[in-house]
Amino acid sequence: MKKLIKYIIYLLILLIVGYNSVYFKKLSDINKLSTEKFNAALFSKILWEEKMPQKVDSSIDFSQLKQAVNNNEADALKKHTNAMGIGNYRYALIKTKATVLSVYEDEVTIQLPGSDTATIATEYIYGNAIRDASELVAISDFPNTTELNSISEELNKIVRTYVLTSFKKMVKKGQTLTIIGAVELNKAHIKWNGLELLPVRIQIVN
Amino acid sequence: MTANNYKNNLNKFQSLIALIILCIVLSLLSNKFFTASNGVNVLRQIAVNICVATGMTMIVLTAGIDLSVGSVLALCGAITAGLLKNGWQFPTLDLFVGFTLLGAILCAIIIGAFLGFFNGLVITKFKVPPFVATLAMLTIARGFTMLYTEGHPISNLGTSFAFIGAGSFIGIPIPVWIATVVVLIAVFITKKTKLGRYIYAIGGNENAAKLSGISINRVKLIVYSLGATLAAIGGIIVTSRLDSAQPNAGISYELDAIAAVVIGGTSLNGGRGSIWGTVIGAIIIGVLNNGLVLLNVSPFWQQVVKGAVILLAVIIDKIGDKKE
Repeated sequence: MKKLIKYIIYLLILLIVGYNSVYFKKLSDINKLSTEKFNAALFSKILWEEKMPQKVDSSIDFSQLKQAVNNNEADALKKHTNAMGIGNYRYALIKTKATVLSVYEDEVTIQLPGSDTATIATEYIYGNAIRDASELVAISDFPNTTELNSISEELNKIVRTYVLTSFKKMVKKGQTLTIIGAVELNKAHIKWNGLELLPVRIQIVN
Repeated sequence: MTANNYKNNLNKFQSLIALIILCIVLSLLSNKFFTASNGVNVLRQIAVNICVATGMTMIVLTAGIDLSVGSVLALCGAITAGLLKNGWQFPTLDLFVGFTLLGAILCAIIIGAFLGFFNGLVITKFKVPPFVATLAMLTIARGFTMLYTEGHPISNLGTSFAFIGAGSFIGIPIPVWIATVVVLIAVFITKKTKLGRYIYAIGGNENAAKLSGISINRVKLIVYSLGATLAAIGGIIVTSRLDSAQPNAGISYELDAIAAVVIGGTSLNGGRGSIWGTVIGAIIIGVLNNGLVLLNVSPFWQQVVKGAVILLAVIIDKIGDKKE
Protein backbone atom coordinates (compact mmCIF):
# COMPACT_ATOMS: atom_id res chain seq x y z
CA MET A 1 0.00 0.00 0.00
CA LYS A 2 2.83 2.37 0.95
CA LYS A 3 4.57 1.57 -2.34
CA LEU A 4 1.40 2.28 -4.29
CA ILE A 5 1.05 5.71 -2.65
CA LYS A 6 4.70 6.42 -3.42
CA TYR A 7 4.22 5.53 -7.10
CA ILE A 8 1.04 7.62 -7.31
CA ILE A 9 2.92 10.62 -5.86
CA TYR A 10 5.75 10.12 -8.38
CA LEU A 11 3.25 9.86 -11.21
CA LEU A 12 1.48 13.05 -10.08
CA ILE A 13 4.80 14.95 -9.92
CA LEU A 14 5.68 13.66 -13.39
CA LEU A 15 2.30 14.74 -14.75
CA ILE A 16 2.55 18.23 -13.21
CA VAL A 17 6.10 18.72 -14.52
CA GLY A 18 5.11 17.33 -17.94
CA TYR A 19 2.02 19.55 -18.14
CA ASN A 20 4.17 22.61 -17.38
CA SER A 21 6.94 21.58 -19.77
CA VAL A 22 5.31 20.98 -23.14
CA TYR A 23 2.36 22.15 -25.22
CA PHE A 24 0.90 20.81 -28.44
CA LYS A 25 -0.20 22.55 -31.60
CA LYS A 26 -1.01 21.60 -35.17
CA LEU A 27 2.17 21.75 -37.23
CA SER A 28 0.22 23.03 -40.24
CA ASP A 29 -0.95 26.05 -38.20
CA ILE A 30 2.62 26.84 -37.15
CA ASN A 31 3.92 26.47 -40.72
CA LYS A 32 1.09 28.64 -42.05
CA LEU A 33 2.17 31.46 -39.75
CA SER A 34 5.83 31.18 -40.72
CA THR A 35 5.23 30.95 -44.47
CA GLU A 36 3.30 34.20 -44.61
CA LYS A 37 6.39 35.85 -46.04
CA PHE A 38 7.62 38.95 -44.33
CA ASN A 39 8.28 41.82 -46.72
CA ALA A 40 11.14 43.60 -44.97
CA ALA A 41 11.60 46.21 -47.72
CA LEU A 42 7.97 47.34 -47.58
CA PHE A 43 7.84 47.18 -43.79
CA SER A 44 11.03 49.29 -43.47
CA LYS A 45 9.83 51.79 -46.09
CA ILE A 46 6.65 52.35 -44.09
CA LEU A 47 8.67 52.70 -40.88
CA TRP A 48 11.02 55.20 -42.54
CA GLU A 49 8.26 57.32 -44.04
CA GLU A 50 5.62 57.20 -41.34
CA LYS A 51 7.37 56.64 -38.03
CA MET A 52 10.94 57.86 -38.44
CA PRO A 53 9.99 61.57 -38.71
CA GLN A 54 8.54 61.50 -35.17
CA LYS A 55 11.63 59.76 -33.88
CA VAL A 56 13.86 62.30 -35.58
CA ASP A 57 11.91 65.10 -33.88
CA SER A 58 12.38 63.53 -30.48
CA SER A 59 16.12 62.81 -30.88
CA ILE A 60 18.33 64.18 -28.13
CA ASP A 61 20.95 66.88 -28.60
CA PHE A 62 24.48 65.43 -28.41
CA SER A 63 25.62 67.89 -25.71
CA GLN A 64 22.49 67.23 -23.65
CA LEU A 65 23.03 63.47 -23.83
CA LYS A 66 26.64 63.89 -22.78
CA GLN A 67 25.61 66.10 -19.86
CA ALA A 68 22.85 63.72 -18.81
CA VAL A 69 25.21 60.72 -18.87
CA ASN A 70 27.80 62.64 -16.86
CA ASN A 71 25.16 63.53 -14.25
CA ASN A 72 23.49 60.15 -13.90
CA GLU A 73 24.75 57.50 -16.31
CA ALA A 74 22.28 54.71 -15.54
CA ASP A 75 19.29 57.03 -15.66
CA ALA A 76 20.39 58.79 -18.85
CA LEU A 77 21.14 55.55 -20.68
CA LYS A 78 17.77 54.16 -19.67
CA LYS A 79 15.94 57.28 -20.78
CA HIS A 80 17.78 58.27 -23.96
CA THR A 81 19.23 55.05 -25.37
CA ASN A 82 17.88 51.69 -26.45
CA ALA A 83 19.16 48.14 -26.83
CA MET A 84 17.35 45.11 -28.21
CA GLY A 85 19.86 42.53 -27.11
CA ILE A 86 21.67 41.88 -23.86
CA GLY A 87 25.20 43.21 -23.40
CA ASN A 88 26.93 46.53 -22.96
CA TYR A 89 26.00 48.22 -26.22
CA ARG A 90 23.27 50.89 -26.21
CA TYR A 91 22.11 52.99 -29.14
CA ALA A 92 21.01 56.61 -29.18
CA LEU A 93 19.50 58.85 -31.83
CA ILE A 94 21.28 62.18 -31.47
CA LYS A 95 21.10 65.56 -33.19
CA THR A 96 24.00 67.95 -33.43
CA LYS A 97 25.71 70.69 -35.39
CA ALA A 98 29.15 69.84 -36.72
CA THR A 99 31.96 71.12 -38.90
CA VAL A 100 33.51 68.95 -41.58
CA LEU A 101 37.20 68.36 -40.80
CA SER A 102 38.06 65.99 -43.65
CA VAL A 103 36.36 64.01 -46.37
CA TYR A 104 37.48 60.49 -47.19
CA GLU A 105 36.22 57.90 -49.63
CA ASP A 106 34.22 55.99 -47.02
CA GLU A 107 33.77 58.46 -44.16
CA VAL A 108 33.67 62.11 -43.20
CA THR A 109 35.38 63.36 -40.06
CA ILE A 110 33.49 66.05 -38.17
CA GLN A 111 34.08 68.36 -35.22
CA LEU A 112 31.25 68.16 -32.69
CA PRO A 113 30.40 70.96 -30.25
CA GLY A 114 33.18 71.02 -27.64
CA SER A 115 36.39 69.17 -28.31
CA ASP A 116 34.99 65.84 -29.54
CA THR A 117 35.32 64.59 -33.08
CA ALA A 118 33.25 61.92 -34.80
CA THR A 119 33.04 60.14 -38.12
CA ILE A 120 30.04 59.90 -40.38
CA ALA A 121 30.03 56.57 -42.16
CA THR A 122 29.29 57.25 -45.82
CA GLU A 123 30.00 53.90 -47.41
CA TYR A 124 29.73 51.02 -44.96
CA ILE A 125 26.37 51.29 -43.23
CA TYR A 126 26.00 48.01 -41.39
CA GLY A 127 24.68 46.71 -38.09
CA ASN A 128 21.57 47.43 -36.07
CA ALA A 129 22.41 50.92 -34.79
CA ILE A 130 19.74 52.77 -36.80
CA ARG A 131 17.02 50.20 -36.06
CA ASP A 132 17.84 50.04 -32.36
CA ALA A 133 18.50 53.75 -31.78
CA SER A 134 15.22 54.73 -33.43
CA GLU A 135 13.23 52.28 -31.27
CA LEU A 136 10.98 51.65 -34.26
CA VAL A 137 10.52 47.93 -33.65
CA ALA A 138 10.00 45.68 -30.64
CA ILE A 139 11.75 42.34 -30.45
CA SER A 140 8.57 40.61 -29.30
CA ASP A 141 6.79 41.52 -32.55
CA PHE A 142 9.00 39.19 -34.60
CA PRO A 143 9.10 35.41 -34.50
CA ASN A 144 12.73 35.14 -35.58
CA THR A 145 16.04 36.97 -35.81
CA THR A 146 16.13 36.81 -39.60
CA GLU A 147 13.11 39.09 -39.93
CA LEU A 148 14.42 41.45 -37.30
CA ASN A 149 17.83 41.69 -38.95
CA SER A 150 16.30 42.13 -42.39
CA ILE A 151 14.70 45.35 -41.09
CA SER A 152 18.18 46.65 -40.19
CA GLU A 153 19.44 45.73 -43.65
CA GLU A 154 16.59 47.59 -45.33
CA LEU A 155 16.89 50.67 -43.10
CA ASN A 156 20.64 50.76 -43.81
CA LYS A 157 19.88 50.45 -47.52
CA ILE A 158 17.47 53.41 -47.33
CA VAL A 159 20.14 55.50 -45.60
CA ARG A 160 22.74 54.61 -48.24
CA THR A 161 20.34 55.43 -51.07
CA TYR A 162 18.36 58.43 -49.88
CA VAL A 163 20.54 60.12 -47.27
CA LEU A 164 24.11 59.54 -48.34
CA THR A 165 24.08 59.59 -52.14
CA SER A 166 23.50 63.34 -52.45
CA PHE A 167 25.49 64.17 -49.30
CA LYS A 168 28.62 62.41 -50.60
CA LYS A 169 28.47 64.47 -53.80
CA MET A 170 28.17 67.82 -52.00
CA VAL A 171 30.18 67.52 -48.79
CA LYS A 172 33.40 69.56 -48.54
CA LYS A 173 35.91 70.34 -45.82
CA GLY A 174 34.93 73.31 -43.62
CA GLN A 175 31.17 73.04 -44.21
CA THR A 176 28.74 73.28 -41.30
CA LEU A 177 26.23 70.46 -40.98
CA THR A 178 23.18 69.63 -38.94
CA ILE A 179 22.97 65.91 -38.41
CA ILE A 180 20.60 63.46 -36.83
CA GLY A 181 22.02 59.98 -36.55
CA ALA A 182 22.49 56.83 -34.56
CA VAL A 183 25.48 56.26 -32.30
CA GLU A 184 26.61 53.18 -30.41
CA LEU A 185 27.68 53.57 -26.77
CA ASN A 186 29.46 50.88 -24.81
CA LYS A 187 28.08 51.40 -21.31
CA ALA A 188 31.18 49.77 -19.80
CA HIS A 189 33.48 52.41 -21.34
CA ILE A 190 31.58 55.39 -22.70
CA LYS A 191 33.82 57.43 -25.01
CA TRP A 192 32.45 60.58 -26.59
CA ASN A 193 35.46 61.27 -28.76
CA GLY A 194 35.69 59.22 -31.97
CA LEU A 195 32.04 58.13 -32.12
CA GLU A 196 30.77 56.70 -35.40
CA LEU A 197 27.56 58.34 -36.55
CA LEU A 198 25.16 56.55 -38.87
CA PRO A 199 23.13 59.41 -40.34
CA VAL A 200 19.37 59.49 -40.64
CA ARG A 201 19.14 63.15 -41.72
CA ILE A 202 21.99 65.42 -42.87
CA GLN A 203 21.72 69.01 -43.97
CA ILE A 204 24.61 71.11 -45.23
CA VAL A 205 24.01 74.53 -43.66
CA ASN A 206 26.76 76.47 -45.45
CA MET B 1 50.79 23.31 17.68
CA THR B 2 53.47 20.81 16.64
CA ALA B 3 55.58 21.28 13.53
CA ASN B 4 53.70 18.37 11.88
CA ASN B 5 50.30 19.93 12.59
CA TYR B 6 51.56 23.22 11.25
CA LYS B 7 52.76 21.51 8.05
CA ASN B 8 49.47 19.63 7.65
CA ASN B 9 47.46 22.83 7.98
CA LEU B 10 49.76 24.58 5.53
CA ASN B 11 49.23 21.75 3.00
CA LYS B 12 45.46 21.76 3.59
CA PHE B 13 45.10 25.47 3.05
CA GLN B 14 47.81 26.01 0.42
CA SER B 15 45.25 26.93 -2.33
CA LEU B 16 43.49 29.39 -0.05
CA ILE B 17 46.82 30.94 0.99
CA ALA B 18 47.81 31.23 -2.69
CA LEU B 19 44.47 32.94 -3.45
CA ILE B 20 44.90 35.44 -0.59
CA ILE B 21 48.48 36.26 -1.69
CA LEU B 22 47.28 36.66 -5.30
CA CYS B 23 44.49 39.02 -4.22
CA ILE B 24 46.88 41.11 -2.09
CA VAL B 25 49.41 41.40 -4.93
CA LEU B 26 46.74 42.34 -7.50
CA SER B 27 45.17 44.87 -5.12
CA LEU B 28 48.57 46.56 -4.78
CA LEU B 29 49.17 46.54 -8.53
CA SER B 30 45.73 47.72 -9.67
CA ASN B 31 43.33 50.01 -7.82
CA LYS B 32 40.44 48.63 -9.89
CA PHE B 33 40.91 45.07 -8.62
CA PHE B 34 39.60 45.24 -5.06
CA THR B 35 36.19 46.73 -5.82
CA ALA B 36 32.73 45.25 -5.30
CA SER B 37 31.81 45.49 -8.98
CA ASN B 38 35.02 43.72 -10.04
CA GLY B 39 34.39 41.01 -7.43
CA VAL B 40 30.88 40.41 -8.80
CA ASN B 41 32.33 40.40 -12.31
CA VAL B 42 34.89 37.72 -11.41
CA LEU B 43 32.23 35.59 -9.70
CA ARG B 44 29.95 35.87 -12.74
CA GLN B 45 32.78 34.78 -15.02
CA ILE B 46 33.77 31.75 -12.94
CA ALA B 47 30.25 30.50 -12.16
CA VAL B 48 30.13 28.19 -15.18
CA ASN B 49 33.62 26.83 -14.51
CA ILE B 50 32.64 26.15 -10.88
CA CYS B 51 29.62 24.10 -12.03
CA VAL B 52 31.68 22.09 -14.53
CA ALA B 53 34.69 21.74 -12.22
CA THR B 54 32.48 20.52 -9.34
CA GLY B 55 31.39 17.56 -11.47
CA MET B 56 34.96 17.06 -12.65
CA THR B 57 36.16 16.92 -9.02
CA MET B 58 33.90 13.98 -8.23
CA ILE B 59 35.14 12.21 -11.37
CA VAL B 60 38.84 12.94 -10.61
CA LEU B 61 38.29 11.76 -7.00
CA THR B 62 37.49 8.31 -8.45
CA ALA B 63 40.80 8.56 -10.40
CA GLY B 64 38.90 9.24 -13.61
CA ILE B 65 38.73 12.15 -16.02
CA ASP B 66 36.08 13.59 -18.32
CA LEU B 67 37.31 15.41 -21.41
CA SER B 68 33.84 15.67 -22.93
CA VAL B 69 32.32 18.26 -20.57
CA GLY B 70 32.96 21.20 -22.95
CA SER B 71 31.20 19.47 -25.83
CA VAL B 72 28.37 18.21 -23.61
CA LEU B 73 27.97 21.79 -22.38
CA ALA B 74 27.68 23.03 -25.98
CA LEU B 75 25.22 20.30 -27.00
CA CYS B 76 22.97 20.80 -23.99
CA GLY B 77 23.02 24.58 -24.46
CA ALA B 78 22.07 24.10 -28.12
CA ILE B 79 19.29 21.67 -27.21
CA THR B 80 17.82 24.12 -24.69
CA ALA B 81 17.90 26.92 -27.28
CA GLY B 82 16.60 24.71 -30.09
CA LEU B 83 13.68 23.36 -28.04
CA LEU B 84 12.73 26.82 -26.81
CA LYS B 85 12.89 28.26 -30.28
CA ASN B 86 11.74 25.46 -32.60
CA GLY B 87 10.23 22.72 -30.41
CA TRP B 88 9.81 19.24 -31.90
CA GLN B 89 8.05 18.82 -35.22
CA PHE B 90 6.33 15.63 -36.39
CA PRO B 91 5.18 16.29 -40.00
CA THR B 92 3.52 12.90 -40.48
CA LEU B 93 1.32 13.47 -37.43
CA ASP B 94 0.85 17.19 -38.20
CA LEU B 95 2.05 17.76 -34.63
CA PHE B 96 4.17 20.50 -33.12
CA VAL B 97 5.45 19.94 -29.58
CA GLY B 98 6.47 23.27 -28.05
CA PHE B 99 8.62 23.50 -24.93
CA THR B 100 8.28 25.87 -22.04
CA LEU B 101 11.40 27.16 -20.28
CA LEU B 102 11.07 24.40 -17.67
CA GLY B 103 10.62 21.74 -20.35
CA ALA B 104 13.62 22.83 -22.41
CA ILE B 105 15.88 23.00 -19.36
CA LEU B 106 14.75 19.60 -18.06
CA CYS B 107 15.29 18.02 -21.49
CA ALA B 108 18.82 19.43 -21.73
CA ILE B 109 19.69 18.21 -18.23
CA ILE B 110 18.30 14.72 -18.94
CA ILE B 111 20.28 14.51 -22.20
CA GLY B 112 23.42 15.71 -20.37
CA ALA B 113 22.93 13.04 -17.71
CA PHE B 114 22.42 10.40 -20.40
CA LEU B 115 25.68 11.37 -22.16
CA GLY B 116 27.53 11.09 -18.85
CA PHE B 117 25.83 7.76 -18.18
CA PHE B 118 26.98 6.57 -21.61
CA ASN B 119 30.56 7.62 -20.75
CA GLY B 120 30.31 5.70 -17.49
CA LEU B 121 28.92 2.65 -19.29
CA VAL B 122 31.77 2.58 -21.81
CA ILE B 123 34.32 2.99 -19.00
CA THR B 124 32.88 0.37 -16.65
CA LYS B 125 31.45 -2.29 -19.00
CA PHE B 126 34.04 -2.16 -21.78
CA LYS B 127 36.97 -1.17 -19.56
CA VAL B 128 37.91 1.67 -21.91
CA PRO B 129 40.25 4.13 -20.13
CA PRO B 130 38.30 7.29 -19.10
CA PHE B 131 40.69 9.48 -21.10
CA VAL B 132 39.87 7.63 -24.35
CA ALA B 133 36.15 7.10 -23.71
CA THR B 134 35.51 10.76 -22.89
CA LEU B 135 37.78 11.94 -25.71
CA ALA B 136 35.52 10.03 -28.08
CA MET B 137 32.45 11.62 -26.46
CA LEU B 138 34.11 15.03 -26.87
CA THR B 139 34.07 14.55 -30.65
CA ILE B 140 30.66 12.86 -30.77
CA ALA B 141 28.92 15.55 -28.73
CA ARG B 142 30.59 18.35 -30.73
CA GLY B 143 29.48 16.64 -33.94
CA PHE B 144 25.90 16.37 -32.68
CA THR B 145 26.00 20.05 -31.71
CA MET B 146 27.06 20.97 -35.25
CA LEU B 147 24.36 18.70 -36.72
CA TYR B 148 21.66 20.07 -34.44
CA THR B 149 22.54 23.74 -35.00
CA GLU B 150 23.63 23.23 -38.64
CA GLY B 151 26.70 25.22 -37.66
CA HIS B 152 24.68 28.39 -36.94
CA PRO B 153 23.98 30.07 -33.61
CA ILE B 154 20.42 29.85 -32.26
CA SER B 155 19.62 33.33 -30.90
CA ASN B 156 16.88 35.50 -29.36
CA LEU B 157 15.63 33.07 -26.77
CA GLY B 158 13.44 35.43 -24.78
CA THR B 159 13.89 37.58 -21.72
CA SER B 160 12.84 34.97 -19.15
CA PHE B 161 15.54 32.60 -20.39
CA ALA B 162 18.10 35.45 -20.58
CA PHE B 163 17.41 36.16 -16.88
CA ILE B 164 19.18 32.91 -15.91
CA GLY B 165 22.49 34.16 -17.30
CA ALA B 166 22.15 37.93 -17.14
CA GLY B 167 19.82 38.54 -14.20
CA SER B 168 20.70 39.05 -10.56
CA PHE B 169 19.11 38.61 -7.13
CA ILE B 170 20.03 41.00 -4.29
CA GLY B 171 22.94 42.26 -6.38
CA ILE B 172 24.45 38.83 -7.00
CA PRO B 173 24.23 37.36 -10.50
CA ILE B 174 21.91 34.35 -10.92
CA PRO B 175 24.77 32.14 -12.29
CA VAL B 176 26.59 32.69 -8.97
CA TRP B 177 23.49 31.54 -7.05
CA ILE B 178 23.25 28.46 -9.27
CA ALA B 179 26.96 27.69 -8.76
CA THR B 180 26.51 28.12 -4.99
CA VAL B 181 23.62 25.64 -4.87
CA VAL B 182 25.59 23.17 -7.04
CA VAL B 183 28.63 23.44 -4.74
CA LEU B 184 26.57 23.01 -1.56
CA ILE B 185 24.84 19.90 -2.93
CA ALA B 186 28.20 18.47 -4.11
CA VAL B 187 29.78 19.16 -0.71
CA PHE B 188 26.85 17.42 0.96
CA ILE B 189 27.18 14.42 -1.36
CA THR B 190 30.95 14.06 -0.92
CA LYS B 191 31.05 14.68 2.83
CA LYS B 192 27.77 13.42 4.22
CA THR B 193 26.56 10.54 2.07
CA LYS B 194 27.53 6.93 1.42
CA LEU B 195 28.12 7.81 -2.23
CA GLY B 196 30.67 10.42 -1.19
CA ARG B 197 32.58 7.92 0.95
CA TYR B 198 32.50 5.39 -1.90
CA ILE B 199 33.90 8.03 -4.31
CA TYR B 200 36.91 8.63 -2.03
CA ALA B 201 37.32 4.91 -1.41
CA ILE B 202 37.38 4.05 -5.12
CA GLY B 203 39.91 6.81 -5.84
CA GLY B 204 42.07 5.81 -2.87
CA ASN B 205 42.28 2.13 -3.75
CA GLU B 206 39.85 0.63 -6.24
CA ASN B 207 40.72 -2.98 -5.45
CA ALA B 208 40.29 -2.48 -1.72
CA ALA B 209 36.98 -0.71 -2.36
CA LYS B 210 35.80 -3.61 -4.53
CA LEU B 211 36.80 -6.18 -1.91
CA SER B 212 34.93 -4.26 0.76
CA GLY B 213 31.71 -4.64 -1.26
CA ILE B 214 31.39 -1.30 -2.98
CA SER B 215 29.74 -1.49 -6.41
CA ILE B 216 32.49 0.27 -8.35
CA ASN B 217 30.58 0.32 -11.64
CA ARG B 218 27.44 1.79 -10.10
CA VAL B 219 29.36 4.58 -8.34
CA LYS B 220 31.28 5.43 -11.52
CA LEU B 221 28.06 5.50 -13.57
CA ILE B 222 26.54 7.92 -11.07
CA VAL B 223 29.66 10.10 -10.94
CA TYR B 224 30.03 10.43 -14.74
CA SER B 225 26.28 11.13 -15.04
CA LEU B 226 26.56 13.84 -12.37
CA GLY B 227 29.60 15.37 -14.10
CA ALA B 228 27.77 15.64 -17.43
CA THR B 229 24.60 16.90 -15.73
CA LEU B 230 26.60 19.77 -14.23
CA ALA B 231 28.15 20.43 -17.66
CA ALA B 232 24.59 20.63 -19.02
CA ILE B 233 23.71 23.18 -16.33
CA GLY B 234 26.84 25.12 -17.35
CA GLY B 235 25.63 24.96 -20.96
CA ILE B 236 22.25 26.40 -20.02
CA ILE B 237 23.95 29.29 -18.16
CA VAL B 238 26.36 30.03 -21.05
CA THR B 239 23.53 29.97 -23.62
CA SER B 240 21.34 32.17 -21.48
CA ARG B 241 24.16 34.65 -20.80
CA LEU B 242 24.83 35.07 -24.51
CA ASP B 243 21.12 34.83 -25.40
CA SER B 244 22.42 32.50 -28.08
CA ALA B 245 23.58 28.88 -28.43
CA GLN B 246 26.91 28.90 -30.22
CA PRO B 247 28.01 25.67 -31.92
CA ASN B 248 31.57 26.42 -30.78
CA ALA B 249 30.66 27.06 -27.14
CA GLY B 250 32.59 25.30 -24.40
CA ILE B 251 35.79 24.66 -26.35
CA SER B 252 38.62 24.02 -23.84
CA TYR B 253 36.20 24.32 -20.87
CA GLU B 254 37.31 20.81 -19.84
CA LEU B 255 40.86 22.13 -19.47
CA ASP B 256 39.72 25.05 -17.31
CA ALA B 257 37.72 22.62 -15.16
CA ILE B 258 40.67 20.22 -14.79
CA ALA B 259 42.92 23.20 -13.99
CA ALA B 260 40.53 24.32 -11.22
CA VAL B 261 40.43 20.80 -9.82
CA VAL B 262 44.24 20.43 -9.82
CA ILE B 263 44.95 23.93 -8.49
CA GLY B 264 42.37 23.23 -5.78
CA GLY B 265 44.51 20.36 -4.53
CA THR B 266 42.59 17.34 -5.81
CA SER B 267 44.99 14.57 -6.74
CA LEU B 268 44.77 13.34 -10.34
CA ASN B 269 45.43 9.86 -8.91
CA GLY B 270 42.10 10.10 -7.05
CA GLY B 271 41.09 9.68 -3.44
CA ARG B 272 42.34 13.05 -2.22
CA GLY B 273 40.82 16.51 -2.62
CA SER B 274 37.63 18.43 -2.00
CA ILE B 275 34.90 20.45 -3.68
CA TRP B 276 35.88 23.55 -1.66
CA GLY B 277 39.43 23.18 -2.97
CA THR B 278 38.08 23.16 -6.52
CA VAL B 279 36.00 26.28 -5.82
CA ILE B 280 39.18 28.02 -4.63
CA GLY B 281 41.01 26.68 -7.71
CA ALA B 282 38.33 28.13 -9.99
CA ILE B 283 38.49 31.47 -8.13
CA ILE B 284 42.30 31.50 -8.50
CA ILE B 285 41.97 31.00 -12.28
CA GLY B 286 39.23 33.68 -12.47
CA VAL B 287 41.17 36.16 -10.34
CA LEU B 288 44.34 35.49 -12.32
CA ASN B 289 42.53 36.07 -15.64
CA ASN B 290 40.88 39.21 -14.31
CA GLY B 291 44.07 40.57 -12.74
CA LEU B 292 46.13 40.02 -15.87
CA VAL B 293 43.50 41.84 -17.94
CA LEU B 294 43.42 44.75 -15.47
CA LEU B 295 47.22 44.94 -15.61
CA ASN B 296 47.07 45.07 -19.42
CA VAL B 297 49.17 41.92 -19.76
CA SER B 298 49.18 40.60 -23.33
CA PRO B 299 46.71 37.71 -23.89
CA PHE B 300 49.64 35.57 -25.06
CA TRP B 301 51.46 36.07 -21.76
CA GLN B 302 48.20 35.37 -19.92
CA GLN B 303 48.18 31.86 -21.39
CA VAL B 304 51.81 31.33 -20.38
CA VAL B 305 51.11 32.47 -16.80
CA LYS B 306 47.99 30.29 -16.54
CA GLY B 307 49.91 27.26 -17.79
CA ALA B 308 52.76 27.92 -15.37
CA VAL B 309 50.33 28.13 -12.42
CA ILE B 310 48.74 24.80 -13.39
CA LEU B 311 52.18 23.21 -13.74
CA LEU B 312 53.20 24.53 -10.34
CA ALA B 313 50.02 23.15 -8.78
CA VAL B 314 50.64 19.68 -10.27
CA ILE B 315 54.28 19.70 -9.07
CA ILE B 316 53.15 20.63 -5.54
CA ASP B 317 50.53 17.86 -5.76
CA LYS B 318 53.18 15.32 -6.83
CA ILE B 319 55.49 16.37 -3.98
CA GLY B 320 52.54 15.93 -1.61
CA ASP B 321 51.84 12.44 -3.04
CA LYS B 322 55.49 11.40 -2.60
CA LYS B 323 55.58 12.56 1.03
CA GLU B 324 52.39 10.60 1.80
